[in-house]
Amino acid sequence: MTLSKLLLSSAIALLAVTGAAQAQDAKRGEKLYEECVACHSKDRGAHGIGPALHGVIGRKAAELADFRYSPALKRSGITWNTQSLESYIADPQKAVPANRMPYAGMPEARDRADLIAYIRAAMK
Amino acid sequence: MATQLKEVDAVIVGLGWTGGILAKELTAAGLKVVALERGGLRDPASDYALPGVRDELRYVHRHDLMQNTARDTLTIRNKPAQEALPMRQLGSFLPGEVVGGSGVHWSGHTWRWSDNEFKIRTLYEERYGKGYIPADMTIQDWGITYAELEPYYDKFEYCAAVSGKAGNIRGQIQPGGNPFEAPRQRDYPLPPLTPILSNVVFSEAARNVGYHPFLRPSANASRAYTNPDGSKFGACQYCGFCQRFGCEANAKGSPHMTVIPIAMRNPNFELRANSWVTKVQKDSSGKRVTGVTYTNVLNGEEFEQPASMVLLCAYAINNVHLMLLSGIGQPYDPVSQKGVIGKNYCYQTGAGSTLFFENRNFNPFMSAGGSSATCDDFNQNWNFDRSSHGFVGGFTVAAGVNTALPIGYRPVPGGTPPWGKEWKAATAKWYQTAMTIGSSGSVMANRYNCYDLDPTYKNAFGQPLMRMTFDYTENELKMGRHAAQIVNDIAKSMNPTRLNPASVRQSWSVVPYQSTHNTGGTIMGTNPQNSALNKYLQNWDCHNLFVVGANVFPHNASYNPTGPVGALAYWTADAIKNRYMKNPAPLVSA
Repeated sequence: MTLSKLLLSSAIALLAVTGAAQAQDAKRGEKLYEECVACHSKDRGAHGIGPALHGVIGRKAAELADFRYSPALKRSGITWNTQSLESYIADPQKAVPANRMPYAGMPEARDRADLIAYIRAAMK
Repeated sequence: MATQLKEVDAVIVGLGWTGGILAKELTAAGLKVVALERGGLRDPASDYALPGVRDELRYVHRHDLMQNTARDTLTIRNKPAQEALPMRQLGSFLPGEVVGGSGVHWSGHTWRWSDNEFKIRTLYEERYGKGYIPADMTIQDWGITYAELEPYYDKFEYCAAVSGKAGNIRGQIQPGGNPFEAPRQRDYPLPPLTPILSNVVFSEAARNVGYHPFLRPSANASRAYTNPDGSKFGACQYCGFCQRFGCEANAKGSPHMTVIPIAMRNPNFELRANSWVTKVQKDSSGKRVTGVTYTNVLNGEEFEQPASMVLLCAYAINNVHLMLLSGIGQPYDPVSQKGVIGKNYCYQTGAGSTLFFENRNFNPFMSAGGSSATCDDFNQNWNFDRSSHGFVGGFTVAAGVNTALPIGYRPVPGGTPPWGKEWKAATAKWYQTAMTIGSSGSVMANRYNCYDLDPTYKNAFGQPLMRMTFDYTENELKMGRHAAQIVNDIAKSMNPTRLNPASVRQSWSVVPYQSTHNTGGTIMGTNPQNSALNKYLQNWDCHNLFVVGANVFPHNASYNPTGPVGALAYWTADAIKNRYMKNPAPLVSA
């Protein structure tokens, strides 16, 4: 799949997801987290290229003092919850234009739901 | 006076791919290891992260991750009769100077060199007769076989997240891969990168004229990956800033995010960055090395680090320089052809064309370091008859984009003025519409292409600069002419609006960047008369000295060198762990 197709399909997936309630599979989400783990540790304070995600749920975007966030994320006013994570992971540049995360997005709604279920469970 | 430090089991000089692999392997085997790296320690989270990493001026034009020529450089000449002059700005090649070495800024192209190279003299003499190899061409067999190295290639490919498609698994030709590659035991750890448009259109054209294009294997993770050591990779984002940059997505296989952090977590390991090794010390017998002398470049303080074993793992050129500065082994003399240190320096050659297609957009800003479709019909393909062209060696033919930078990538058709209004109009018109087809060619060793110490110029430590004497010979010109013809024939078959045709490189120039693929100088071989090192990269004179890197290659192939560089580092690590540690002695009797 080319990058442009990937972006397109993620935009379509974003339209389709609203209100879709299905059982989330945190176990599957743990597997999907492999796409994130090269940059995001789940341990508190263990920042890599991206910030550690420990305690991310309920936190304001760009809140940690010991990680250098992009101005775009600082300005975003986002509080991380299921919904905001869902749209950010689907298409990071669409959700927060000019943020610095080098990630093209996760196109499948079910994948995102499972991933967020894992983040909710594992990164308290 | 130099401060005397406590003896360690092994000191590693230079911490890139080879030093990193040996540091990880030997500390895991229980050895106390100190690594001395002349460059600094960078932190990927601040140094290779967005947006700072996409600073073309800093990394490409000001060489932020490369050797600082104000401190040490080489003198360069084409012919022995010329006076060599210092290279005051990097050009043709770019040695890394940072923890991670050139493994931070490489593109990731990872090949398996085969017996075509390792048994070169035997194979050419068998097939084309003894008289086929010119008298001044000092090629020789390497003393190692592909079968011996195969498991170590595999190890390196799985460590570095190489994405590609096997062409030959245990003798079975695989669709989609390189049908000419040497047989491998299993496929690459990751599927090939997503092809970009120039890969697709070139592959179609090459297939139409009967060649066998495939997507080049490269250490750019095509998807998220955890390697067998547990190092985590993100997926390549095709950001277009690969070669000469650290990776912003942790997707490029690099020592600073794989083997080096593993070594650093081991209490047996110590890294000293900003540490410049000036000499390897020998004992009075001259049969053993005893350690190294180095300077902390931040404050000028000098140290002696004794060690039971010394591993030279610096950039290929600097390993050879250190051998010459330390007086280990007999320096090579091109007149008498006696001596081995400095012998068989080789580079690469090539020919490139640029094709312009009006109204076709290639989006060159979107690519991975390894976004290339390649044909091996004139290289690894042993059935290709070299005798009708009269050369030894081979060349690859490939198309793609590697790092089409905003400042540096400005393709314009021939005849366009190099500046001004017309140039601006042309660069705006053609930027999106250009693609290149290029060839990379081998360079065979020649008796006059070599290194020695410069008689005039000195570095910041008062030591003689390395002198490089190199030019292409008739062999490379014959091959280059054939390569240019093949490239141009494929290019013309694609009917571009405009074509800048490929032409042969007549003479080597140090000024424009070509490739950081310098080989030879401390070559491996079958005996101490023809080589500096045995097949385990152990020095023939001092058995507790190992020299690792492309400096061990007796000649240069058309392929990029990092595959065998990584494989040989694992091979040497195994020889040290399994044999040398039990019985510290020559691993091959002279």
